[in-house]
Amino acid sequence: MAPITINRAPLVLIGIASLALAGAMTSPGHAADTAEIYVVQGLPDQSLDVSVDGRSVDQGVDTAKVVGPFDVEPGSRTMTFTDGGETVLERTLEVTAGSSTDVVIHLPVSASAAPTVTEFENDLSSPPRGKATLAVAHTAAVPPADIRVDGKVLFENVANGESLTLVVPAGTYTVDIVPTGKDGPAVLGPLELPVNAGGLDRVFAVGDPTKKTMNVAVHTIATGSSGSDRPKQVNTGTGGQAAGYIAPLGAGLFD
Amino acid sequence: MSPIARASITGLLAGLIAGCATGPGHTDAAGVEPPAAREGLPAASTRLTFVPEQVTLPGGSTAKVRPASTVDGLLVVPENVRHVGWWDGSASVGDPYGSTVIAGHVDSATGGLGYFSRLLSIGKGERVTVRSGAHRLAYRIVSVRSVSRTKLATTSPAFDQSGEHRLVLITCTGTFRPGRGYDRNLIVTGEPIGLAR
Repeated sequence: MAPITINRAPLVLIGIASLALAGAMTSPGHAADTAEIYVVQGLPDQSLDVSVDGRSVDQGVDTAKVVGPFDVEPGSRTMTFTDGGETVLERTLEVTAGSSTDVVIHLPVSASAAPTVTEFENDLSSPPRGKATLAVAHTAAVPPADIRVDGKVLFENVANGESLTLVVPAGTYTVDIVPTGKDGPAVLGPLELPVNAGGLDRVFAVGDPTKKTMNVAVHTIATGSSGSDRPKQVNTGTGGQAAGYIAPLGAGLFD
Repeated sequence: MSPIARASITGLLAGLIAGCATGPGHTDAAGVEPPAAREGLPAASTRLTFVPEQVTLPGGSTAKVRPASTVDGLLVVPENVRHVGWWDGSASVGDPYGSTVIAGHVDSATGGLGYFSRLLSIGKGERVTVRSGAHRLAYRIVSVRSVSRTKLATTSPAFDQSGEHRLVLITCTGTFRPGRGYDRNLIVTGEPIGLAR
């Protein structure tokens, strides 16, 4: 299983940037008696080495990269992030058998404060056919913000460390992030986000707008689809008892 | 997945995980266990969404809503004419995009008049409420139209999953011919009044 390694230059803050997501899917094929951890590197201008319980799992992870999955035993695990041998941050997390977790190292609201680590549980339930689960997380050095999709606020007043989840039809959406209640200026985007059916798409806003390091990390996990195909016909009258109640042309027509 | 809002499940999971006993874990060189990672929380504005379990039409009568699948192109609604079916490929109530499709009998040879025969006299501006447990969302009817039964999927937007969220109620109408049923479908469309709660 190939880990996702999406690495992009910081997105241009004005205009449309495009995220090449096609084919960048992993599948949740891990054994149910272990836990699955992905690491999202949200610190600007740094390349980090990652260890779990003192064991190195990846090295030189650049900004906005997502690495994993790393299969670990259920229980309390310790994540250590180092840069050139210096420990940047060390945090524990509790994981359960069969769980899937995104562990994000990122800036807090105040970029001058120490970095932090936030864990997000991945909801791998299957959306209906033709749809995807879209989860947007705020992990950037910005105050609470509104996340707009196709110009409409779909995620309102999201604070650092919070995320919002929606089920949306597959397609390409224009996403931008603006200060809560304001039309602009955008702290990120607008950018074009392609969303494929049958997956969980996690989007992490990372970076610091005052240093022009705003970026996004995108993590897509295949989930499969639920539900049945679009019907061709609905036949819901076999008795004729209602015929007497039907006014001729009582309703408008589609054809 | 049960019709409980995803937000609730996430919250529950977070609670369960937070409530776990801390294992021995890994300690640093000084023998001190590092602090716990921050728990990512759903934002307060998280939308509530649910699979409909009940629908109430104008006048107050209520019917159970069962999941309904498409088999060989036909949406298979409950045989019981007092129940109606939610197409399991359509939007959940409260989703930002797409139609939540509920179809039911206008009548049947064995069951008589169906619950959705009430749709034959529904009008624009009337309210329809869908529920799951304590959760609910009301819709205002904005359109009542019919389409030839063979053109339902191709000529009407009933099943579209893009565009603004809406409720689409489907039954039969038109001319009844024994053995062949009705020749048209009635499509009643409602716009949500606010957000699901």
